[in-house]
Amino acid sequence: MRLRRRTLLRAAAAAGTATAVTSCSRNERSVQVAVVWSGAELARFREVVAGYGAPVRVVSAGNDIDAFLRARHLAGTSPDVAILPRSGLVVEYARRGWLRELTPAASYAVPPGMADLLVTDGRRYGVWVKAAHKSLFWYFDSMLSEPPATWDQLVAITRRLGARARAGTAPAPLAIGAADGWVLTDWFENVLADIAAPDFYEALARGEADWRSRSVRVALDRLAELWSIDGAFPGGARRALLTQYEESVIQVVHHRRATMVFEGDFVGDVSARFQRGAEQPVTFRFPGSRVADRPLILGGDAAVAFAGSARGAELVGWLSEGSAFQPWLQAGGYLSPNVTVPLASYRDPVRRALAAELQGAESVRFDLSDRLPGPFTGSDGVGIWRIMQDFFADVTGGVRAAEAVRRATNQLAAAARAAGGGR
Amino acid sequence: MTRPVLGELAVLDDVGPPRRGRAYPAAGATSALLLPALLLLGGLVAWPVLRTLHASVFTDGRWVGAAHFRAAFAAPGTAAVVGRTVLWALVVPAVVTVLGYLLAAASRRSQEGGLVRLILVVPTALPLVVTGVTFRLLYDPDPQRGLATLLLARLTGRSADQVPQLLGPGLVTVALMSAFVWAWVGLAVLVFRAALDAVPPSLADAVRAFGGSRRDVLWDAQWRPLLLRTVAVVFALVALGTSRTFDLILVMTPGSVRDEASVLALRVWQTSGGTTTGEGAALGVIWLVAVVAGMLVAALFVRQSWPPPRDPAPAEPDPAAAPPRRSIRLLAAGAALAWLVPLGVLLATSLHKPVDAAARAWWSSAPSLDSYRQLASGPELWRTLGFTLVLATVVTAAVLGIALLAAYPLAWLTGPPAQATGLLLMAASVVPVQVIAGPVNEVLGVVLSSGTARGLGLVHVALGIPFAVLVLRNAFADLPAEQVRAVRLGGRHWWSTLRLLARHNRPAVVAVAVLEFVQVWNDLVVGLLFSGPGAAPLGLFLAGQTRGFVVNSGVLAAGSVVASILPVLLVVLARRQLVAGLVAGGVR
Repeated sequence: MRLRRRTLLRAAAAAGTATAVTSCSRNERSVQVAVVWSGAELARFREVVAGYGAPVRVVSAGNDIDAFLRARHLAGTSPDVAILPRSGLVVEYARRGWLRELTPAASYAVPPGMADLLVTDGRRYGVWVKAAHKSLFWYFDSMLSEPPATWDQLVAITRRLGARARAGTAPAPLAIGAADGWVLTDWFENVLADIAAPDFYEALARGEADWRSRSVRVALDRLAELWSIDGAFPGGARRALLTQYEESVIQVVHHRRATMVFEGDFVGDVSARFQRGAEQPVTFRFPGSRVADRPLILGGDAAVAFAGSARGAELVGWLSEGSAFQPWLQAGGYLSPNVTVPLASYRDPVRRALAAELQGAESVRFDLSDRLPGPFTGSDGVGIWRIMQDFFADVTGGVRAAEAVRRATNQLAAAARAAGGGR
Repeated sequence: MTRPVLGELAVLDDVGPPRRGRAYPAAGATSALLLPALLLLGGLVAWPVLRTLHASVFTDGRWVGAAHFRAAFAAPGTAAVVGRTVLWALVVPAVVTVLGYLLAAASRRSQEGGLVRLILVVPTALPLVVTGVTFRLLYDPDPQRGLATLLLARLTGRSADQVPQLLGPGLVTVALMSAFVWAWVGLAVLVFRAALDAVPPSLADAVRAFGGSRRDVLWDAQWRPLLLRTVAVVFALVALGTSRTFDLILVMTPGSVRDEASVLALRVWQTSGGTTTGEGAALGVIWLVAVVAGMLVAALFVRQSWPPPRDPAPAEPDPAAAPPRRSIRLLAAGAALAWLVPLGVLLATSLHKPVDAAARAWWSSAPSLDSYRQLASGPELWRTLGFTLVLATVVTAAVLGIALLAAYPLAWLTGPPAQATGLLLMAASVVPVQVIAGPVNEVLGVVLSSGTARGLGLVHVALGIPFAVLVLRNAFADLPAEQVRAVRLGGRHWWSTLRLLARHNRPAVVAVAVLEFVQVWNDLVVGLLFSGPGAAPLGLFLAGQTRGFVVNSGVLAAGSVVASILPVLLVVLARRQLVAGLVAGGVR
């Protein structure tokens, strides 16, 4: 009998130890940071915070950091700091009182208009820590002798190459990762920034303008003009809708099945892994109506500190210094939003040129879909991502442009209305 | 076991015929054993369900009636989502049941039958995330990577751009269903085989003796006595299983076709994420009601007296029975080969360099271990494997312990209370976790303000308990009274009785342990909803890499293979106990 009792006790002790093991894996002393990055980017960021005075624990929250943080808030276990991929989230969290007001370092300076996105009711709740240049086309010099300088030239080149691709004598003109809704919203934002007045673009982002306005319709009409060109995409548009962003880059840099691919500076990271031969891909800016003023769309990640965490606010202050990201600048693949970072510290030549562009830019527009409220901001199968994919399917599937534009603007307006209240 | 004392035996025999309940401790003492299970189920299942019901008709504490339901149905596509969910719950179980019966019958009593069944069982052990990865590789729209697309193009003589896209908007649901059927047929085969073996061959002889035809034999000697109920059980199991399509959809569908594949599970998650409010709660309530109603219908269909009468002497396998006809055996072998193809694709993809796996066909480039090397060189794989192993082990031990305690007093109930607890446990075991995610998070916040790895474990334990208790309770109650009495004589305390009961029901205990371990190991959705820093379950690790599916395919395939080894081994090794334990305990 005694033996049995001991067995039971031993079992209970074992269960207790196991629980203790799982709970001890959390270090109470370090500052907790939740990020969306994974893989190489996560490793680089860990190198960055290794230079901070106190121990920092970086946690990758995966793609859906919003759901992660909401759940942690409900459970009362928010991290000290989060790095958010969308400025819309910063505003949302600040309005709910989840965040702590911040004071950035003295050396913190970002392009005009960008800092304001993280300010709510006159208080600053976030600082930009990473920027993305989202107005680039990538191609090989050997495949395209004269890159287009205006939108009309882009359309003309696409028509010409598209005809040759249909005949089977040349690669398709454009690769597009339409399976990822954000690729399509980036297209739309560049065209819109070119057509619409800056005030209108900003008003749309704040939810104060009508999505059925003329500028939106004209922008969509332009996209329809380009996307509906027969032979524009390798394998056709149906195939493009199942092509993810990275695969579209592979189609250009590895298979050379397409001539150009549009996306941000981060295309370079994929192409470095997949390009064949010695030739490096080069870029041209997203073409606008005129050669002189081409749109510049920026994206970025912002750091916030959660309410009640003084250590979190200190870490964010440190991250806002341009020099904090030195390890990542050295390794390449990082574009700083901080215009005081000297160009000489970029080792990666593409990023150095983009940083120069950023420092000289008079006006930049910030990624529109990142600023939209609630589910309108988009994710797979949801919000503006879904609407732009429907629009893409319509214009490439034979629906008349006017009809496709009407459908899309109605959906956009309805989604904006639905997202406007509450969140 | 200590030897029974003679005097005790005489006393017990003296009080009349053996009756259940006679040999057990008083109700008051043992009902305390229910406490851990009740606390967990109450706190992490029952209370959250009530909160979700509440949230579906209230906004910030204000009564809004059916407004959330109206809004949920007014949202574009909701009708299609509900329709698709129903389609899943009808078509997939029908296909799985028919295929399962045919393959079980075709693989009986033949030499290669065992191998056929073994091959069919392997996919049932895979995490659904891995199944999703496998079929997305197979169905890739690029003929340079997707074997199915290449074959379609060859067979139809059209160019690869012209053939129907298996992952395209038109066929994506069919593609998902095919993956699901692939994964579930093995289970149906195992259950049908157990049922067929349980049919006494003398019955068939009797029918033949009365001049019955082949069809009469099937009808009177197989269908009516046993198969009808088995079909109902398999159909219900698979229908309830289709509420897990979530993992498959998340992994297999590119963003542009996710709406065309969406079912209620996905819609609820998209609408409310980790919280449960408004429209998300309304959709969740509809889903919950449908699942519980389906469960009740299934339970009523297969109802029987409880506790069930003892089986007569187990049917002796008839040595003289002939194996099935040659053509049927070939069919079974063909099915087994077809079932191997996806596994082959996964393995072949994993055996290529990451760049080759992304850019070229696995049949056209040289094999390499680079993907495995890259996977193993990062710290993440080892961390996630270690974490998942600890999590699954601890959760399994906890579920087993708590369920054994709770099953003990419940097994002595008879009549309506027993039936009622059975139904309640079944209802609790089918509650979809997405529906109660928000309230569960609130409860976790109250009971432990930190450490989400613990929270994750608690949720797994709470979700695993109902089914475990059900199986163990039924198994305990099935033991003949004499055996229980003999056990009781071996010790004076309830725990020794319990220990010996567990020993006598080893198949049921093994079945519960293996199923719980595999369930936790293979999980995606609980990890997605409740994991935090320091909690990096395997399913989440794999699903996280599917965002850039093509570029990651080599490493992803390698990770999938690594993640599948342990569950496949466990299920394959324990498959006899699994079926015996479930047939004795749960699936009746």
